[in-house]
Amino acid sequence: MTRGGWKAKALAAAFCLVWAFPVYWMVNTAFKPRSEIFTSTPLFWPRHPTLGNFSTALSQKQFLTNLGNSVIVVAATVIVSIVLGIFAAAALSRFRFRGRRVIMVVILAVQMLPATALLIPMFVMFNSLDMLGTFAALVLAYVATVLPFSIWVMRGFFVMIPAEIEEAAHIDGAGNWRTLISVLFPLVAPGVIATGIFSFIAAWNDYLIAYTFMQDESRYTLPVWLASFTNPHTGTDYGSQMAASVIFAVPVIVFFLAIQRNLVAGMSAGAVKG
Amino acid sequence: MLGGALDAPPGPSPAPAHRSRRRRRDLAPLVLLSPACLVLAVVTLAPIGFLVATSFTDYNQRTLFTGEYANVGLQQYTELLSDNDFWTSLLRTVIFTAAMVAGSVLIGMGVSHLLTRLGRGWRYTVTVVLIVAWAMPNVASSLVWNWLFQPGYGVANWALARLGIFGDTTSLNWAQDPMLAYIAIWLLIVWQAVPFIALTLNAAETQVPKEYLEAARLDGASEYAIYRIVTLNHLRPTLLLVTILSVIWDYNVFNQIWLISRGGPGDATSTLGVFTYKTAFVGFHIGHGAAVSVVTTLILLGLTAVYIRNLLKSGEDL
Repeated sequence: MTRGGWKAKALAAAFCLVWAFPVYWMVNTAFKPRSEIFTSTPLFWPRHPTLGNFSTALSQKQFLTNLGNSVIVVAATVIVSIVLGIFAAAALSRFRFRGRRVIMVVILAVQMLPATALLIPMFVMFNSLDMLGTFAALVLAYVATVLPFSIWVMRGFFVMIPAEIEEAAHIDGAGNWRTLISVLFPLVAPGVIATGIFSFIAAWNDYLIAYTFMQDESRYTLPVWLASFTNPHTGTDYGSQMAASVIFAVPVIVFFLAIQRNLVAGMSAGAVKG
Repeated sequence: MLGGALDAPPGPSPAPAHRSRRRRRDLAPLVLLSPACLVLAVVTLAPIGFLVATSFTDYNQRTLFTGEYANVGLQQYTELLSDNDFWTSLLRTVIFTAAMVAGSVLIGMGVSHLLTRLGRGWRYTVTVVLIVAWAMPNVASSLVWNWLFQPGYGVANWALARLGIFGDTTSLNWAQDPMLAYIAIWLLIVWQAVPFIALTLNAAETQVPKEYLEAARLDGASEYAIYRIVTLNHLRPTLLLVTILSVIWDYNVFNQIWLISRGGPGDATSTLGVFTYKTAFVGFHIGHGAAVSVVTTLILLGLTAVYIRNLLKSGEDL
């Protein structure tokens, strides 16, 4: 059997058709005028492509505010978890000390907790601290979900650096800190970028926590804004909902394609849940 | 992986084979670790303690405003264990998880194998399609699903009607029928889960030594027999890992169910996650919700233990 037999090609084509269809249908709908969306026979491409749905979505009164909220919260989460995570990852990979194994197992186990196990107590805690609805509460909740796997993924990058490099730095007279900051950190830079993107995706996509914590519309993040497009009373405007979905999904898809080499390793570390 | 120092048992060992500065008892790792550990303790360990504490109280809507609650001991748990809704949700979660994992792992194995049989161009195309499907944020894909399966103008109903097997399906309301709602959710979960599984398995499948495959081929084994005997044997550890992770993830699925059916119609698609959420944040019986969450976590902890043990066994340097 040779590579690329016709059976394999036919199967691949069928698979691509089925798997790409939902995304294609989202984009297709986003560019259709209303009259072409609600037709008894679906139209497989827009006859009169329009950007109207995008401008409707973007001109929703909360869009820019909620986009801003998402950016603030996601940026804070990524920065906090990278800064804390990189030092912890260095400690867990370049040093051997008592209790290391326990810490690693705890970090691994914490990632596997069901969402409600953190959501309920955090809700209670932030309620009694009067912090519900604040960005700080949201960032803390995201750090809880993102930091463990940031440590885990960056540690994987540290482990790959040969010990000789570190020893050479020491022979050249560099101390522990010097070695860490000017030798090791630059070497794990690609890992830091990949981890940052993973954290970005996890925080950017979160719906459950923001939906529970942020009761005020002006404090919504984009996923909550997106889901609140569904209005059972006025009927759903599928055109602008799909346009909004495109706007929301595009940065994530771009990032995914950018880090595809590290995707499998990063996902195995247990985060960015589907 | 990194030479002897990392593989040596912790604590002082009598004759270290590789002396390294890492052996020195210095404060560096402690200093490096403490900020992250402190934050993790505050944002994960403390909440878990709090969750357990809350599950022994009658914390509810009133408490949110007044701060008053009473300790009720094990009452939430005894109520829970005699609650039919809880047991049905648990059973439902087990069945849902099994069906989702079976579907996504089997299709993922198929796609992984398909990738090894394709030339460059097709392999690249399939990979891009997989990554795009994988990258779709689940809030967005849930909304797309609602539109695909919309009664009246949804393209799924139109396609089914064209097939003609089920008669006129144009106004089929997927979210309002227990079985159909479940099928729609299953399709979405499988659609999103296959890319990770297929790509992970494929990464392992390309590592199967060519000589083994060629030898089997020379012996006249059928392609199916080669796959079953040679390839699957090599895939076993990866397959196990992917299956355990899928079980953990699918057991925890919430967003997709919530956005497609809200657990309905009735409670037909209400898994443990949805049941907990409704108890804690719709009825605001937070104490009770905490008890459900503790039980959910304990079950999951069993699965996680298997996963971690497996990682340890597969030689991951912990």
